[in-house]
Amino acid sequence: MNLFQTIFTGSKQALAAAEGIVKKAVEEKGRDHKVAFPDTAYSLPVIYAATGKKITTVAELEGALDIVRSLIVEEEMLDKALNSGLATAVAAEIVEAAKYVLSDAPYSEPCVGFVSDPIIRSLGVPLVTGDIPGVAVVLGECPDAESAAKVIKDYQSKGIMTFLVGKVIDQAIEGNVKMGLDLRVVPLGYDVTSVIHVVTVAIRAALIFGGVKPGNLAEVLQYCSDRVPAFVNAFGPLSELVVSCGAGAIALGFPVITDQTVTEVPTLLLTQKDYDKVVKTSLEARKIKIKVTEIPIPVAFAAAFEGERIRKND
Amino acid sequence: MSEKVLSIDKTTLDMLDKAKKDGVETAWDRKEALKAPCGFGAAGVCCRNCTMGPCRVSPVPGKGAERGICGATADVIVSRNYARMVAGGTAAHSDHGRSICLDLYHTSPDGDIKVKDEKKLMKVAARFGVKTEGRDIYEIAHELAATGLQDYGRQFGEPCLPPTLPEKRREIWRKLGIYPRAVDREIASVMHASHIGCTADAESMIKIAMRCSLTDGWMGSYMATEFSDIMFGTPKARHTEANLGVLEDNQVNIVLHGHEPTLSEMIVAAAELPEMIELAKSVGADGINLCGMCCTANEATMRHGVKLAGNFMQQELAVVTGAVEALVVDVQCIFPALAKLSESYHTKFITTSPKARIKGSTFIELDEEDRMGSAKKIITEAIMNFKNRDRSKVMIPELKSEAEVGYSVEQILNKLDGVVNSHIGPMQSAKPLADVIVAGVIRGAAGVVGCNNPKNVHDEGHIEVIKGLIKNDIIVVVTGCSAQAAAKHGLLRKEARELAGPGLKKVCELVDIPPVLHMGSCVDISRILELVGTTANHLGVDMSDLPVVGVAPEYMSEKAIAIGTYVVTSGIDTWLGVVPPVTGGPEVVDILTNRIEEWVGAKFFVEPDPHKTVEQIVARVNEKRKKLGI
Repeated sequence: MNLFQTIFTGSKQALAAAEGIVKKAVEEKGRDHKVAFPDTAYSLPVIYAATGKKITTVAELEGALDIVRSLIVEEEMLDKALNSGLATAVAAEIVEAAKYVLSDAPYSEPCVGFVSDPIIRSLGVPLVTGDIPGVAVVLGECPDAESAAKVIKDYQSKGIMTFLVGKVIDQAIEGNVKMGLDLRVVPLGYDVTSVIHVVTVAIRAALIFGGVKPGNLAEVLQYCSDRVPAFVNAFGPLSELVVSCGAGAIALGFPVITDQTVTEVPTLLLTQKDYDKVVKTSLEARKIKIKVTEIPIPVAFAAAFEGERIRKND
Repeated sequence: MSEKVLSIDKTTLDMLDKAKKDGVETAWDRKEALKAPCGFGAAGVCCRNCTMGPCRVSPVPGKGAERGICGATADVIVSRNYARMVAGGTAAHSDHGRSICLDLYHTSPDGDIKVKDEKKLMKVAARFGVKTEGRDIYEIAHELAATGLQDYGRQFGEPCLPPTLPEKRREIWRKLGIYPRAVDREIASVMHASHIGCTADAESMIKIAMRCSLTDGWMGSYMATEFSDIMFGTPKARHTEANLGVLEDNQVNIVLHGHEPTLSEMIVAAAELPEMIELAKSVGADGINLCGMCCTANEATMRHGVKLAGNFMQQELAVVTGAVEALVVDVQCIFPALAKLSESYHTKFITTSPKARIKGSTFIELDEEDRMGSAKKIITEAIMNFKNRDRSKVMIPELKSEAEVGYSVEQILNKLDGVVNSHIGPMQSAKPLADVIVAGVIRGAAGVVGCNNPKNVHDEGHIEVIKGLIKNDIIVVVTGCSAQAAAKHGLLRKEARELAGPGLKKVCELVDIPPVLHMGSCVDISRILELVGTTANHLGVDMSDLPVVGVAPEYMSEKAIAIGTYVVTSGIDTWLGVVPPVTGGPEVVDILTNRIEEWVGAKFFVEPDPHKTVEQIVARVNEKRKKLGI
């Protein structure tokens, strides 16, 4: 299957999944049931940024499926493929919102799920000052915990904010990566759709710090591309759904670096099979330059360790 | 002159008005005066290959005379005429290549022509099997020239074809019996086979023509380009301006027209000499303004950013501005009408090559022993002519466009390096181009080339085809008069990416290039072969597998016929915007537009409507993508 068809297929799968879970929400909670993510003034941020409309009820959530449908135009042109990626993002947000409808606490330790507004505001200053030089989204599964930990710890030591999605969370735990917002390693969730919680971080950055008006999608995408130094590392076998999520990332200006053999697109979708080079490759792809003053000490040293707590057993 | 719109270029229309007022004739007037062209010639069914004739047979099968006196059928006559056009085109390009080889053979460290690009010399020498290690640069250059020259007249063994030619393609040619031998031999072979009483089988005749054309694209033109780069430098991206508005009001305007860069390189160098500039000032001019036309312009602009005055159909109009002191020409595509036309103005029409003497012109031969001396003499003639400019007759159009030129394969690979992640690599490879094509971000690539032809609205075919293709995310490379049409209409600017489809626009932004890349003169179409071949080799496929096409929207010359033939024979579908004189031979039409695909995986399409051309190309590109599974 060619790349564009893979993306379209994944988007249609995302749509089907969203339709399924929304149907379930309608059946279990009714169309009038409230829809909201915790601690946010931006409703469903992706949909809000794209359309300027806030989703408040399950009925409106059901109506939002039309946004997904309208974004999937199966014509093999780049803009259509990127829109299809955005469709997947919207579908993912619908799925995640439905999770919060169906359960009061859909996420539990170690996963954090939705990232609240206050946290984003707290990230704003270090992002602007470059104290957080980049945002890594690591998703999927590495061949082993060791390589996963190596990559994540490398980002951590560079002060990069890393969000984890999928089995790589367990691998990070196994690899003794210390996690937490203060430590700049945040596990989001095990489902691919939970990646949307980092997408909304970028999108809310555009709304909060960029002052972009909701509904001005082109400007939101431009802000993310110019100002949010994020990138994606997709490890392990890539489903059509993940590839179409990747197209969404590319629409936001975030390059995708994978360890799989894919149809590469220069600077945007790259294959790097050598785990020792993943970090360097990713930073170069996102044009992130880190000023390094290496202090020859036996432990890792970075701002990311500032909030670290030394427990008795340590 | 009819009221039909003749050109989409405003300067052309303005100058045509002036020509009318000045009472001088142009190619368009002459076309009008010729009235309806002969239907027998237009269909290719007129033969003059012996004195039993001329014979003309009916272009309609089963009606009228079906055979010539010797018994040749319409298909035989058409195929022989077609083959001779291919031979004519191949001969023109190849003699150009030969001159360049000879120039390389005569390079010396203190001569007028030196080796400028050592790196390219080493690369090309290696492909010709010339040893380079520890040797003097000029020793290498001379041996390379001698080795290259052998392939023009080689009688034994196989010629040296570049490594960019995929192995699968070589095999196809071998199986088909059209693997090229020596350049001159194939030209002679066509002339022999098309003599009365020889080949009388259209299929065989076309194959002989195909074999001949290959000695052009992959040998004559290829060597002309490579060796020109060695001597004069490999083109790099640079800025220039295009259209008749580049002529300057108070400068000595010298227009270089023709093909071989040897002449233009010398003139460019001589025009920069302080003594020449002083001389120009002494006659009251602000300086010397060099402009180019046709392929000489392309050569000079690719390497020096010399301004492009215009393309083929504008050559007379440059004179009509009344502001050209000298029109300096060498060979190919030079209207002999310029001699008579320049009598009506102060313009000196200077011919320089013994291969193209034109009655009524001033002949100043480019002296092999003292090229710089000849160049200075030519420029001096122009400068001294400045005082003869009749200001009341001068009208320089204000219109000109910015353009970026200089996209040799080397420059393209350098640009592509800019999007390669240094931790993944490799550098200096066609991988990024192959990647975006495979991914579908760019749907395909098209080489838009060729001439102008008064049968078509001047420049319309070029511009509409190019615009249509880039809009559909098909990246366009241009050469020849097509490149100048694109330059004049602003399509060679980076800003033109706004006219491109979303994928191509993105690629242009990332790589920092215009959506239309000027790759040079007509012999530089070999650069396109090099790029396509390199991409095919990278992907491990044949050229006919790639979603790549060639288009000649307004072609006119035999060179264009030879080019089209070698492009198709190389596996690239080719669209012709002018109907070639083959319509009287049903089998020949069937071969060129149908059967040839079974042989070489590509065929000719004839479509005078540029918009339909674009539709057909998009459909064909998608078909090829599907076959390749991308």
